[in-house]
Amino acid sequence: MNNATTLLSRRQLDLVRIVWMLVTLVLALMTIFPLLWMLTISFKSQAEVFQPTFWPKAPSLKNFVYVLTEVPFLRYLFNSFVVSAAVTIIALWFHSMAGYALARLRFPGREAIFLAIFSTFLVSLPVIIVPLFIVVRSMGMLNSYAGLIVPAIFNAFGIFLLRQYYLALPRELEEAAIVDGASYWRIYWSVILPLSRPIIASLAILFFLANWNSFLWPLTATSDQSLWVVQVGIASFRSQYASSWNYIMAASTIVAAPMLLVFIVFQKQIMESIKTSGLK
Amino acid sequence: MLAPATGLLAVFIFVPMLLTLWLSLQSWSTQTGFDTARFIGVQNFIDIFSNSSIGRDFKAALVNTLIYTVLSVVLILPLSVAFGLLVHQKLAPGGIVLRTILFSTYMVPMIAVALVFSKLYSPTEGPINQVLGWIGIPAQTWLSAPQTALGSIVLLNVWQQVGYFTVLAVAGLTQIPDSLYEAARIDGANPVQRFWSITLPLLGNTLLFSAVIAIINSVQVFEPVALITQGGPVNATNVLTYHIRRVGIERAQGGLGSAMAVTLMLVLIVSITALFAFARAREARRA
Repeated sequence: MNNATTLLSRRQLDLVRIVWMLVTLVLALMTIFPLLWMLTISFKSQAEVFQPTFWPKAPSLKNFVYVLTEVPFLRYLFNSFVVSAAVTIIALWFHSMAGYALARLRFPGREAIFLAIFSTFLVSLPVIIVPLFIVVRSMGMLNSYAGLIVPAIFNAFGIFLLRQYYLALPRELEEAAIVDGASYWRIYWSVILPLSRPIIASLAILFFLANWNSFLWPLTATSDQSLWVVQVGIASFRSQYASSWNYIMAASTIVAAPMLLVFIVFQKQIMESIKTSGLK
Repeated sequence: MLAPATGLLAVFIFVPMLLTLWLSLQSWSTQTGFDTARFIGVQNFIDIFSNSSIGRDFKAALVNTLIYTVLSVVLILPLSVAFGLLVHQKLAPGGIVLRTILFSTYMVPMIAVALVFSKLYSPTEGPINQVLGWIGIPAQTWLSAPQTALGSIVLLNVWQQVGYFTVLAVAGLTQIPDSLYEAARIDGANPVQRFWSITLPLLGNTLLFSAVIAIINSVQVFEPVALITQGGPVNATNVLTYHIRRVGIERAQGGLGSAMAVTLMLVLIVSITALFAFARAREARRA
């Protein structure tokens, strides 16, 4: 679109530039305002919450200390971390195997299995929540880490993206290993897995994000407070402290902060993974 | 190599799916074993579409979910293209920064988004009404009145999700070769004509993908309803996911809940299939 320069005069172009930048600025402000507002209130005192000043007069960490000590938020954060990390690691391992098998191995029923996996895109958690609850209960996994982790592992999207990735890998890389008489397992471990690093990194971020943010399943699978993930913890916290905005915003900041930190650190990789997921 | 993933698929998706289908034809309480289930044919489906209170609640929840989904998609898709163009243009700086800022909201857990917006929307003390007041717009009721509650939840969903779809739109825009714009310009097409005849048609696949993802995401809306409105005021935000969980687990009416779930899935399958058929027909017309 750099050809626009030839269509417009210098002055018109400057005008377009200014309008563009104003729109961008307003949009950016509208996007960022709720987050900034959350942050400023979480540093305000109860008395100051409703005063029209935007920045806290005497910023203090009191709200955070209160939230972290009054409610076992550290425990919830720990649970969220354990569950999200476990699901991510197991899912990446299982799904890369499945993706490789679907891309490379020839066996009867392969297309049918692929289709079955693909069709689960349409089965959302709310649709199967009642029987899933019963299945997990009958396996004795309600109120356990296993109950939080195991049902969350399967992810059709992950298998699909890995399969696409393996289909695009040149076969020659494996053929040398096949000539050497390596088994499929051996090839998977020593050739395929090391080659998968970029896609695994992208998916790791997406899986972790999705599981850190999940709410419906942890809410359904755990009633024991010591197993609550932070999302469930904050939901119960909110019902007790509905009118204390400063505490609610401090708690929201605590849940949002780890994800925003991850975003700042891994920005490039996250954008790339979203893009690849969209283009395939 | 396939066994671990397919095993999980079978136990945690296919078995529950088949159970949902089977239970939708049974009278069964979630608190008892499956042996107490009694076959009643399509009675559950008759009940949820009847004019009893069960039927009225279900149909209202179905309509709420439809309104929520349609509004979300209708807002998110055009906005993602508009923002995508704003990020992609090379006239003025700031595009990449804007993309980063827009996307950052997608990283914030829905729970936190819901909590923050429940306060932002506060009719008396919330900053949104204050800002509206400055520019002369009267205070809105937002989440506190049945007429505006569902729309308010749509807005917070759009605020959170639009950055993700903008990233997809930008990825689609970068795939369009500059030479096409060049050729159109030589033919004398103005920017608006170029948008309608090049940009939009060539974004077709991106938009189809975005629409499918947006529909699947919107149908599953749960957090803001469970957290802020609990379906109210006066059931105005009682969406299907919330209703199914309430009927199926909290009220333990497993059969009824399953019939609702099956209906939801059928509606979703029909909509997605229709969307693909529409896209294919359009493709065929162009070829």
